[in-house]
Amino acid sequence: MNQHGTVTRADERDDMRRTVAEFLDRYSDSGRVRAAMASEHGYDTALWRRCSQELGTTALVVPERCGGLGMGFADAAVVIEEFGRRVVPSPLLTTVVAAAAAAACDTGEADELLRVIAEEGAAVSIAFEGERPVRATRTGRRWSLRGRPAHVMHGADVDVLLVVAETGNAGDPALFVVRRAAEGVRADRLVTLDQTRSLAEVELAGARAVPLAGEGNVKSIVDMVTELTLIALAAESAAAARSCLEATVEYLKVRHQFGKPLGSFQALKHRCADLAVDVEGAESTAWYAVETALADPGERAVVAPLAKAVCADTFMRVAAESVQLHGGIGFTFEHDAHLFLKRAKANQHLLASPQELRRKVGEAAGL
Amino acid sequence: MTVSGGLTVSPEDESFRAEVRAWLAEHLHGDFADIVGTGGPGREHEALERRREWERRLGDGNWIGLGWPVDKGGRAASLTRQVIFHEEYARAGGPGRLGHMSEQLVGPTLLAFGTAQQQDRFLPGILSGEVLWCQGYSEPGAGSDLAGVRTKASLRGEEYVLEGQKVWTSLAHIADWCFVVARTDPAQTRHRGLSYLLVPMAQPGVRVRPIAQLTGTSEFNEVFFDGAVTGVENRIGDEGDGWRVAMGTLAFERGVATLGQQIGFERELTAVIETARATGALADPALRARLVDAWIGLRVMRYTAIRTLASSGEGAPGFEGSISKLQWANWHRDLGELAVDVAGPGALVTEGAPYELTDAQRLFLYTRADTIYGGTNEIQRNIIAERMLGLPR
Repeated sequence: MNQHGTVTRADERDDMRRTVAEFLDRYSDSGRVRAAMASEHGYDTALWRRCSQELGTTALVVPERCGGLGMGFADAAVVIEEFGRRVVPSPLLTTVVAAAAAAACDTGEADELLRVIAEEGAAVSIAFEGERPVRATRTGRRWSLRGRPAHVMHGADVDVLLVVAETGNAGDPALFVVRRAAEGVRADRLVTLDQTRSLAEVELAGARAVPLAGEGNVKSIVDMVTELTLIALAAESAAAARSCLEATVEYLKVRHQFGKPLGSFQALKHRCADLAVDVEGAESTAWYAVETALADPGERAVVAPLAKAVCADTFMRVAAESVQLHGGIGFTFEHDAHLFLKRAKANQHLLASPQELRRKVGEAAGL
Repeated sequence: MTVSGGLTVSPEDESFRAEVRAWLAEHLHGDFADIVGTGGPGREHEALERRREWERRLGDGNWIGLGWPVDKGGRAASLTRQVIFHEEYARAGGPGRLGHMSEQLVGPTLLAFGTAQQQDRFLPGILSGEVLWCQGYSEPGAGSDLAGVRTKASLRGEEYVLEGQKVWTSLAHIADWCFVVARTDPAQTRHRGLSYLLVPMAQPGVRVRPIAQLTGTSEFNEVFFDGAVTGVENRIGDEGDGWRVAMGTLAFERGVATLGQQIGFERELTAVIETARATGALADPALRARLVDAWIGLRVMRYTAIRTLASSGEGAPGFEGSISKLQWANWHRDLGELAVDVAGPGALVTEGAPYELTDAQRLFLYTRADTIYGGTNEIQRNIIAERMLGLPR
């Protein structure tokens, strides 16, 4: 309730958060997370279907005219956060970002993608520019892609790839929709440091593609996809940092040494307090980024890299301290601490490293 | 930077902002142009008389007690409007407020715990900017451990007689009244047996001695009570209930002033960046990285403050105070070091005798106090760990 005693958007989001949390507590506990990360696809495809059907997770930000729920990016962020809190392996994050960007395109091609996401529960990932830029060439009305993008999150195990490719004219890259199973697409799943989020090496050799955006806003949609991915990673990282800190604090309350709970030692308390300050800052930064994500593209260009840098770095600090504060048990495979540690390090480097993000922020700040 | 992202700013709020701006332009940049930018942390010794006059001018404009109820003399302004006032005040370079403790600490205490008579007697002087207050909490033996208060107040007829010493009392040398936590029951220890007393400063039993700080200036004082008296009617709350009253005051701060404070921080950071550009430090990758981190840190504090305010009104104030204190005190202290580090070799020479500091040097030295006063970093960490995270004592 807000100051005026009315039901707010925040209340609805709290309800949604609870629903998703209960759902994941039931269907994606630690055991299932581990089974999923070791499974054929690297994520639980049954959970994905169940989420789409029962929670409508894939349809969240899809406009109602395309069979979706027509919610905002900030609503969907709640779901991303709950997945993040449990390091659930899932192409949810990229699917939500792809849908949010497609919803802003207003083209027949984008609407088609949105329908596939909402109605068929298609999983989507995003292929950003890698070392060898992907080139799009046009023959008549047909576009085809050639090249090797950066490693793609869950790229070998999604239905659709959104590919950033150079079109040759003017140099600005554009976004293309490619069916992962299409001819000319090779996607090999790699063994990754973060076992909860697989990456794929994707090679495009004349793969058939459809442009997502109209001629007018090609550049703005590419920026939007990039920045929304950064913001989604920020929100996920902040939420994962919070749950990692909570688990650590709980452990310090129950673990006894020298005849008292570890959490009663001031040296450990103060470290937890410092982490709590960092997590509060990260959550606030992610909150601001998510709330303003679609409102002001100019501001988003600064906030997105800043938020990802702050939140992923905080997550890494918390996850590292979590392993240390757990002591020996924190070094075992059996305990979940390492899942967070690995996800945190991966999140710091996905899409852009902490250094690259700071360079962007510095430029924006006029430094 | 203006308030957005969660805090609703209506067109009426924007016209309020215009009103604040217009008033400040007329008065601050008019009669009081000579004291723009004076006072505040590290400069609290500056232009005291003029700043006292300025407090009265603020009172005339009805800008003190903005959020207080209308029947108590305030404007019942929303959080958004209070923030707007603080932002505009900071942006205009408003002098450091001498009435800070009057308005932010003792005023809200009177509103929450005072009797109707006490409110009638003391609130008008606060609202008019006429009467200045100082805070008598800390003692040589009671710093972080405030419950160690030893100043005694014994009831003699209708008066309390005070014996003891307070320390770190800012503005004690110009304040008219002091709100004091004193032990009224010598048989009780720690949090029990304390009372919250309002003590007039202008009397033979009160002596004030300035403390020479590491900055070479004096903003804080020692206050000696040697037979000082105050009427029993000047006790807030019951006898022995002083701890609860004093702690209640600490919970009033809701971060309304934080966004205004951050405008001051932004100005300082901009100055540091300009120095770095001039000295070439900006081209140094290590210093540049620290500057970017400082810039990011200020943004993070801003987002935290906006989020706190956006969720205000939901129940009692939480631990945002401790979180925000650690955040800004550490940030500010780091900025102080950075200010000297980017200044080059010149950073080592002062402006002159006796010990006239440059802005960078003052920031470096004064910010050492930030992580100590108002609850040290260590106390804030204890509060967060024990009360927010629930770790055992």
